[in-house]
Amino acid sequence: MSAETLYVNARIRRNEDARLLTGRARFVDDVRLPGTLHVAFVRSDYAHGRLIKVDVSAARQHPGVAAIYTFADLGDYGRPAPLLVPPPPIPGLVFHSRTHRPLASDKVRYVGEPIAMIVADSRYIAEDAVRDVVVEVEPIDAVVDLEAALVAGAPKVHEDLDSNAAARVLQRKGDYAAARAGADAVIGRRFTYDRGAAAALENRCVLASWDRQAEELTIWDTTQAPIPIRNGLAARLGLLESQVRVVAPFVGGAFGPKIMMFYPEELLVPWASMHLARPIKWTEDRQENFYATTQERGQLHDAEMALTRDGRILGVSDTFLFDTGAYDPYGLTIPINTQCTLLGPYDIPNYHSEFTAVFTNKTIVTPVRGAGRQHGVFVSERLLDIAARELGIDRVEIRKRNLLGPDRFPHNHEIMFQDSAPLVYDSGDYLPALEQAVETIGYADLVRRQEERRTGTRRVGVGIACYVEGTGIGPYEGARVTVEPSGKVRVATGVGTQGQGHYTVFAQLVADVLGVAVEDVQVVTGDTREFQWGTGTFASRGAAVAGSACHAAAQSVREKILTLAASLLGAQPGELEVAGGRVSVRGSADRTISLADLAAKANPLRGAVRPGTEPGLESTAYFGPDRGSTASGVHAMVVEIDVETAMIEVKRYLVVHDCGRIINPLIVDGQIHGGVAHGIGNSFYEQLVYDEQGQLLNASFMDYLLPTATDVPPIETAHRETPSPFNPIGLKGVGEAGCIPTGAAFAQAVEDALNIEILEIPLSPNRLFTLIQQAARR
Amino acid sequence: MILNGTFTFNGPRQKVWDLLQDPSVLAKALPGTERLTMAGPDRYEGVMKVSVGPMTAAKFDVAVTLGGKEPPERFTMQIDGKGAVGFARGSAAVHLQEQPDGGTLMDYTSDVQIGGRIASVGQRLIESVSRMMMRQALEALDRELRTRIDADPSGS
Repeated sequence: MSAETLYVNARIRRNEDARLLTGRARFVDDVRLPGTLHVAFVRSDYAHGRLIKVDVSAARQHPGVAAIYTFADLGDYGRPAPLLVPPPPIPGLVFHSRTHRPLASDKVRYVGEPIAMIVADSRYIAEDAVRDVVVEVEPIDAVVDLEAALVAGAPKVHEDLDSNAAARVLQRKGDYAAARAGADAVIGRRFTYDRGAAAALENRCVLASWDRQAEELTIWDTTQAPIPIRNGLAARLGLLESQVRVVAPFVGGAFGPKIMMFYPEELLVPWASMHLARPIKWTEDRQENFYATTQERGQLHDAEMALTRDGRILGVSDTFLFDTGAYDPYGLTIPINTQCTLLGPYDIPNYHSEFTAVFTNKTIVTPVRGAGRQHGVFVSERLLDIAARELGIDRVEIRKRNLLGPDRFPHNHEIMFQDSAPLVYDSGDYLPALEQAVETIGYADLVRRQEERRTGTRRVGVGIACYVEGTGIGPYEGARVTVEPSGKVRVATGVGTQGQGHYTVFAQLVADVLGVAVEDVQVVTGDTREFQWGTGTFASRGAAVAGSACHAAAQSVREKILTLAASLLGAQPGELEVAGGRVSVRGSADRTISLADLAAKANPLRGAVRPGTEPGLESTAYFGPDRGSTASGVHAMVVEIDVETAMIEVKRYLVVHDCGRIINPLIVDGQIHGGVAHGIGNSFYEQLVYDEQGQLLNASFMDYLLPTATDVPPIETAHRETPSPFNPIGLKGVGEAGCIPTGAAFAQAVEDALNIEILEIPLSPNRLFTLIQQAARR
Repeated sequence: MILNGTFTFNGPRQKVWDLLQDPSVLAKALPGTERLTMAGPDRYEGVMKVSVGPMTAAKFDVAVTLGGKEPPERFTMQIDGKGAVGFARGSAAVHLQEQPDGGTLMDYTSDVQIGGRIASVGQRLIESVSRMMMRQALEALDRELRTRIDADPSGS
């Protein structure tokens, strides 16, 4: 792509903000259809038990109740939901697919699992009727702890399996045992890393309307992936894909769990709408969101690193357990991300990594922003910190000695990534990013003042962590670009939008190619009637994959513009320039035509469209990278800890990151700021607490603490650009960068301030206080 | 949730025992009890309304089955409560000992599992609310005991 761009790389304001900030953006719950019925679900209070009886007879008598469905009413529609992401073809991989049903059949496996669906004139009536449903459950001991789950004789979440192991995967590179035998030092520890709820501002919502006369089903859904949802629902409901329209309008944050889950509610609301021939809506409340929306939770790692005495990594070995919850519809994306991202920006010649995914009686686990990457980064960064201390090497220096140099790309890690492609880093330049972070945060000065920082009641610590982020994976996305007779441009693409700025970045890419103002490019996303090919918004892939498709479609339209204008202006296409909404012959100002006029002439009412050409200035194009591109960066932070209260204040937070070529630095900053807020929450505030019977004990924002504005400091960012060779613009993703190494940097900063070893995230004031006390007793 | 404790009644053990076996007395003493009736030998059933933090007046269908009776010294209870906001089920054991001053020392242990929304939203408050309710119930029973003794000082 030419370096001369007006919009790409410009810090411009977002096209969509006027609508969002003035309350004119439409969200699913804003869609009101006359005659809509409303839904409430009867959910399991037990984490594990046999479903003995569901008696809905009293609830059916409730005035205003239109229908009540239990598993017995669903027939074949009650079969399990599809496996969304089959595991990659890793040799020896064992995977047991157990996906959720729309409603529980003979067993309940987590608190909140839907048992019955009540459809009524209003949500109030539906909720009242929930109370009249009698559910009899014979409790079974819950499977909660990951290690206890795998002990012989433990109760089984899925009784047809041999154990609670959902999967076992081993990936190897080189020969770790031999590397270990030749090592000067072996650092081994047990690490725990827990994640949490996505806590999107908007809860989930589904509205379905079956039009009996048109035989068309329209579904408004807070999904990240409207096209797969349409395709899956059409197949399951026995409709043509063209009979189903799925619209994901503005979505108020998603962060992973709004992916094409085929959630029970997402399956049942459209089905019931067809049965009752009425529009039906379900809007999740916040409490349901804690139980019924997928989340990400803990991993337990037994890891070791073998090194030379000068701090060179010879190899890493890691064995870990991954909590997948009651079902595993999203396959192994999270633990494979963990396995791959642990290698980070480092040269690790020998690697042995094996994990067991474990079924537990808890809410289903699927990716939440970061998607297991932070777990892996935590393990490798912590091992490096401990190795640095034990070998007497500075922690920045040990990283420098192990970073992959700029001459090492493409770098093949010889294991398989979540997208079923080999883990190959496309490009990167890691050392300058680390040096920039070290310089900006004032690391040398902080190290000099270490003794002084570690005295008194308020101790100061600094943390610096490196990471890579696999982004922009395939398979593909598409876009259609149209120049309308008004001269304005319309772009339609399939990915859903949840606040990332798609309306602006896609417009920027197209505006540059077509020489129009960015405000004159209208983007439509997330409506299968507008564009029906594609997968969705996940894995930090919107800009790199859908953006590249927008760019390709715009290039194709530009060809049409040049061809038509050349014939009308009597010039060669090579003599033309496209700018300011006009096509002109270079050097002769009077030979010019506006894009508006050109669009009108491209769709004539008389004359003929010649064979081999198409009417209109419109093109559709697709883009699919062979594999994902690898973004990278360094986070540095300074914390101040009150040793008496164990409260932590983040004094500075710096992100030096590299997501290839940047379309809009303002939007990249925003992505990073949001990610860091998630990361700080993950490090010190958020944790889903389950008791030994699988009851979630903090399913409200009173007890589940999100970081507030006062907990998140101003975030400093620095952009570096190492273009990706995998797409024509050089893009990499940035959606998750802000939260990936946060826990690792946080732990290091706390350790630096207090001189106690930190092997777990999240911390909390309570937990940190305990650790301080334990250290004092030793 | 494990809730253990002791309480001293100002009256003789047999009278305390009688009180504890009388559903109409228990219904008055237990805060929030709307109804509590004898549903069979050693089985009470009823309806209670409980408020825990943000969950106010949540209705529970309650069934209590008595067992392990050694009058007037010991008994156990199986407790099963179900409502729209969750459930409580578990067991309790009560031991009554005569005291030298004529009073009765009650020693109770209980292990109750709380589940559903009441656990997930009220978790921080459940234990303190349960302790408060237990304290209120026992004090009410003690007042009832005094009333009975005052009405019939002969102690028969």
